[in-house]
Amino acid sequence: MSANNASSSTDTVGMSYLDTPSRKFVTIYLPLIVFLIVLLFPFYWMAITSVKPDNELLSRTGNPFWVIAPTIAHFKKLLFNTSYPAWMWNTVLVSVVATFVSLVCSVFAAYAIERLRFKGSKQVGLSIFLAYLVPPSILFIPLAAIVYQLGLFDTRWALILTYPTFLIPFSTWLLMGYFRSIPYELEECALIDGANRWQILTKIVLPLAVPGLISAGIFAFTLSWNEFIYALTFVSSSEVKTVPVGVVTELVEGDVYHWGALMAGALLGSLPVAFIYSFFVEYYVSGLTGSVKE
Amino acid sequence: MNFLERLQNNRNALGLLFMLPAAVLLLLFLTYPLGLGFWLGFTDAKVGRDGVWIGLENYQYLWGDAVTRLALFNTLFYTFVASVIKFGLGLWLAMLLNRNIRFKTFFRAVILLPYIVPTALSAIAFWWIYDAQFSIISWMLVKMGLIDKYIDFLGEPWNARLSVIAANIWRGIPFVAITLLAGLQTISPSYYEASAIDGASRWQQFRYVTLPLLTPIIAVVMTFSVLFTFTDFQLIYVITRGGPLNATHLMATLSFQRAISGGALGEGAAISIAMVPFLLAAIMFSYYGLQRRAWQQGGADK
Repeated sequence: MSANNASSSTDTVGMSYLDTPSRKFVTIYLPLIVFLIVLLFPFYWMAITSVKPDNELLSRTGNPFWVIAPTIAHFKKLLFNTSYPAWMWNTVLVSVVATFVSLVCSVFAAYAIERLRFKGSKQVGLSIFLAYLVPPSILFIPLAAIVYQLGLFDTRWALILTYPTFLIPFSTWLLMGYFRSIPYELEECALIDGANRWQILTKIVLPLAVPGLISAGIFAFTLSWNEFIYALTFVSSSEVKTVPVGVVTELVEGDVYHWGALMAGALLGSLPVAFIYSFFVEYYVSGLTGSVKE
Repeated sequence: MNFLERLQNNRNALGLLFMLPAAVLLLLFLTYPLGLGFWLGFTDAKVGRDGVWIGLENYQYLWGDAVTRLALFNTLFYTFVASVIKFGLGLWLAMLLNRNIRFKTFFRAVILLPYIVPTALSAIAFWWIYDAQFSIISWMLVKMGLIDKYIDFLGEPWNARLSVIAANIWRGIPFVAITLLAGLQTISPSYYEASAIDGASRWQQFRYVTLPLLTPIIAVVMTFSVLFTFTDFQLIYVITRGGPLNATHLMATLSFQRAISGGALGEGAAISIAMVPFLLAAIMFSYYGLQRRAWQQGGADK
């Protein structure tokens, strides 16, 4: 996958010498900039609203795109007068643990399917792909009943144990692709040298699949951070809510919307994923494209 | 040989052992609930009360229920319009990014942002953008002199439908664009050079080189896109909660309202299960796309 990306940057030069600068501006850069403005505007709007004092928010005069007297009152309110810090902590905890559990399960499953080739591994591989296509919105009702029966309702465990249902199929599918690209000969050499399966997995295959592990990990982390419907259904006390659910259910009080605090909450909840993403863009993209490519 | 050594040399036993953690989680929290959902759809279960078998009664009731019919219409309309536009704009954006441009990595990284951040949170931003009194869109249109009264984005049924569709498109374009870009990058530029020598125009190159080679990946990407749009929940729940007058209720939000808010688990499960045939159709389509891709790359023709 990365090889593709590398070669394409030189490939696409191809016939572009035919473009004159002005033509290129109108047909490429202009539409690109419009796309960029539209795709980024909601974030700008989120940020500018979160620092606007209430009187500027609710006036129709003046320029709404700018803020005259920026304030951090909304952030203060969020951090000291709501359970926001607890939601943040829950989100981090649930995302990290669910991602870790899913990665461990997926590494074993993908290795078994791709390399141990046990009886029926083809069918298992296909069913993993099918599991990937089962959307949470048709599972949450029966899952709520199961979570309740298991006594997990309104605990973080409810989320930690149910998130892997969409993380494992995805990560396994992605890792299967990575494992497939590792030559058999390496494993055979190790076998001849007397390594056992565990040693092959930990000393040969995993080090070579590190990019795949990072891709799957980053992707799984953002998926669990962004998860909404399970967190909304399986948790009801404020102390165990995640950021998306907490902001949507608790910061909206009656008919008076505290837009400043809402936007501050949305911004703070988006920043961590955006921050992590910015460091691992390439891995994220290869995870995203790998998930539909194979 | 002791037991451990024998285990290590037995593919099937070792395979089973390696599959165990994933299998336990998936069977317990994916396969079982899927089956339970089918069962619940045939019962009159309520929250805190096990239901009894009532056959097709839920489905019969839902078929005659005006709100469910409206939700089905909304879901199909929402999925169709949003997917078509996402595909068109996404493909366009992918082709722009595939050109030889400056700051390509920057553009690509930034464009994915709407897809990265939690949808529930960006939906709140859209809720604020669509506010009846302080909408920034209305403000701009008024200043430009195009309208003289603020638009009631979320108060009118058709306005609300189109507004949530716009939000969905905003969120979905990055996924379509970036995955199609990956497909475009696998097309060798020599095809374009050869077709240019033969006198093909840009449109002909797109029609006879790009599209045919991209078809398999388009099939897969759009299947995913349709799947996620069809089962969408967050955007609607946050922006409109299904209102006004149920005009934006999708199957997923309606099933949540009936099952979790209303407590009618059986009825809600029946609504979710009613989505399954549509999803199966989408999956079959994806499978066809994958087969064609394998065939195009020299695999066996099945």
